[in-house]
Amino acid sequence: MPEDYFSFTQRMFDARKAQEKPEALKGIRVLDLSHMIFGPIAAKFLAQFGAEVIKVEVPYQGDHWRGATYWGKYWKHSNPLWNFINHSKYFVAIDVKKPKGKELILKLAEKSDVVIENFTSGTVEAWGIGYTQVRKKNPGVIYAGLSTFGQYGPFRFFPGWDLLAQGASGMLSLTGHPETDRFFKIPDFYGDFLPGFFAGMMIMMALHHRLKTGEGQYLDACQAEILMRGLFHFTYQSVTKDELGRTGNMDPAAAPSGIFKTRDQKFIALAIATDKQFEHLCEAMDRTDLLDDERFKKAFTRLKKENATHLQKIVNVWVRSKDEKELVETAKQYGFPLSPVMDDLQICQDEWRRDRGSVLLHDDEMYKKLALAGPLAMLSKTPARIKWLTRPLGYHNRYIFKKLLKLSEKEIKALEKEGVVGYWDYRVGQRPPVYYDMGKDRIFNYEGSEEH
Amino acid sequence: MKGVKNIKERTYSRYLQKKGAGKRISEWSQFLTEMTSAEGKPEALENAVVLDLSYANFAGIMAASFLAEAGAEVIKVEPPEGDPSRVMSPFGVNLKGVGIPYLTESRNKRHITLQLNEERDRENLKKMAVKADVLIETFAPGEMDSLGIGYRQLSELNPSLVYVAITPYGHFTSKAKKFSKIPWADLTSQAESGLAALIGDLPDTPEPFNWPTRAGFYAAGYATAVGAAGGALVALFHQRITGEGQMVDIASADAYASCVGFPSTIGYVWKKPRPRYGTLDYGLCPYGFFKCQDGFIAIACFRDQDFRAALKILRLWKLEEDWRSLLDRITDDIDKVKELNRKIEEAVAQYTYKEIFEKFSAYSVKAARSKWRGGGLPVTTKMLTPKEVLESEHWRVRHTFHTINHPTFGIFTVPVTGKMSKTPMRIKWVSANVGEDNEYIFKKYGLKTGA
Repeated sequence: MPEDYFSFTQRMFDARKAQEKPEALKGIRVLDLSHMIFGPIAAKFLAQFGAEVIKVEVPYQGDHWRGATYWGKYWKHSNPLWNFINHSKYFVAIDVKKPKGKELILKLAEKSDVVIENFTSGTVEAWGIGYTQVRKKNPGVIYAGLSTFGQYGPFRFFPGWDLLAQGASGMLSLTGHPETDRFFKIPDFYGDFLPGFFAGMMIMMALHHRLKTGEGQYLDACQAEILMRGLFHFTYQSVTKDELGRTGNMDPAAAPSGIFKTRDQKFIALAIATDKQFEHLCEAMDRTDLLDDERFKKAFTRLKKENATHLQKIVNVWVRSKDEKELVETAKQYGFPLSPVMDDLQICQDEWRRDRGSVLLHDDEMYKKLALAGPLAMLSKTPARIKWLTRPLGYHNRYIFKKLLKLSEKEIKALEKEGVVGYWDYRVGQRPPVYYDMGKDRIFNYEGSEEH
Repeated sequence: MKGVKNIKERTYSRYLQKKGAGKRISEWSQFLTEMTSAEGKPEALENAVVLDLSYANFAGIMAASFLAEAGAEVIKVEPPEGDPSRVMSPFGVNLKGVGIPYLTESRNKRHITLQLNEERDRENLKKMAVKADVLIETFAPGEMDSLGIGYRQLSELNPSLVYVAITPYGHFTSKAKKFSKIPWADLTSQAESGLAALIGDLPDTPEPFNWPTRAGFYAAGYATAVGAAGGALVALFHQRITGEGQMVDIASADAYASCVGFPSTIGYVWKKPRPRYGTLDYGLCPYGFFKCQDGFIAIACFRDQDFRAALKILRLWKLEEDWRSLLDRITDDIDKVKELNRKIEEAVAQYTYKEIFEKFSAYSVKAARSKWRGGGLPVTTKMLTPKEVLESEHWRVRHTFHTINHPTFGIFTVPVTGKMSKTPMRIKWVSANVGEDNEYIFKKYGLKTGA
């Protein structure tokens, strides 16, 4: 008798063993010159799989997202949301505008496999730390330039945020109810996160090419373009000459579909894609008569607007007559896509997510316990992991400068005095938590030898 | 080369406005001309073989597309009647039986048919799996295993195989087992991963406008696909170094929460969920698109100086005193945020898009030059529809859209991205006839036909 499949997979993905397993990107060094979300998330994607990511910030200022906040709330004198974006990185603070600072960054770039930046097109070149300058000493470097409108094209010098990319890509015009003047953006800076992970994927492709040939290259990861890549609306437009526009809660590619209110005043989503799923739904609703109706039998006719709308009304009535739990149970039994609408708190507390490692309760030396979202992909042999949460500005200065650049204590002190390198200002997001004694921290006061 | 102009263009970075900046970035401008074409360049994954068994699952299909765009030989395996994803199309619009999303994603792929419920074709799949680097499948967890072609069996035959599975709840945990019959859908993934709960109008608006709302595109499917392809590439990197394959498991019910990360941390720190916030933002105010006389325009004030600039230009300076700092403007007091937002709305409504754009733009360019760095950078853009995006000169210069003229499917346009100087992602062909590459692939891999 072979082992039960799920006990086999459970063993393979055992979260408790993750820390003991090898790291796929060990030995890959990434110089992260980026700020905010789009660039840092690409670097974090690599960090979680074992890359050594050195994040460079401006002394006494730092990444603007350090001090950002949702609703003006902070946690232990920091922005808790920043941890998801920058965990497991090394934090150094160097002033690029000082000639010695630029030199220091070039030295780090020379020793790196990947460099990531997300300033407006041309800025890093003007600073003297761009691709054309770095490749002179490090021709194998993979240099990723991330920007809203890309490195070339008439809009290339336009700065942008997530919101602008959503607007410029056509994405923003797609969410909401038709015939209203409300267009909803995708919240939580989706327009930064998704393109950031996409850029991480592009860097992996470049690493594959380099492994084979030894060649480095330049990557132009364009935020708005990456958002556009995920829309089928351009093809729809070119074929029908018609705008798909907003369709409220109906997925026009699934019939019936929608978000519905249950008897117990909760919300569920339902979307039927295949004829098989439709059959299962009709059985569950006890409406197998619909299966003989020419309007609903086959997907392409079922999807016609009037037919889809008709079915949506039938489902609406059915859902209203049941409680959420009952509905989920029915879907599970019959086999069709239905799920509860889950909010922040439910997601954080979800037992399945805790079991799976999709929500990780990380116990950090400096910040203690914090829940972070796990990786999008679980790898059985080289899983992603959190090594440490974020650290105060310039926390790893000594560690990196001594270990990697072989600078002496005296040289570092001189650089500090000249303002070339630095630390935190006494501001939220930059400084350590009040209870933490930096004087005793061996990494911050790194003398040599200890491993991190 | 039109897109790569010199520094005379309007720049928003003070470092590009400095004397001699044009000269300093001239090598860079020269280099960029190398970026504009994929013609004749090598491909990053040209020696990789990918089997795409995605079934009624666009996350799997898109993940396979990304690998195909990077040069892998992607063999799409379907049953003889075709993958049901072919019928998932807006309002049933199709070209010769192929829906719009499926056609869009049928880039650089080989299409073959196998009947996996038959022994002969399971052997054929094994034959290909021995030579493959990556296999992507989206069947119910345990289904492939029970047919003798799951990770457990295929990894015996090919220990280097990277086996990618995409399902709503993954292939492990007790829930994955209990809920194994629930199939993938983008909308349910959006709902269960925390996205739908955040979109929709404010609590005091009438039903159903204040309900959880669907993002109008495959927001969850896209995140799942990027996660899957990224995970596969990391596993493949490990395989290239050590020879060792592994299993990569993706749960689509996790898509949004694991992409943006906020729901878990907010739930933990605040111990309460966020309500829907309409067109307002949880972190910044004003941060959104506002209705002007001829469309919708972005007002995005990230820093205090950006806010001050916007106030000056919109002639709202009298508001500055009460709303001075970031902490005055972001608050969980919804009425307060609404008040400021309404004032911005009223002001924006007085102008056309061009008026605001020109003022913001000129201000930003000037402020960047100023020694006093408190100037702010009130950048903006117009909300465009996909139709307007298609007409934009910028994307034309970047070759973002390819128009295909196919003998079966006619003329259609698809987007592509992933620009890289040496191994750019690219579209080589788009085609989606069922089994159109049977002959080529069966011969190449020595597969059997007939009984």
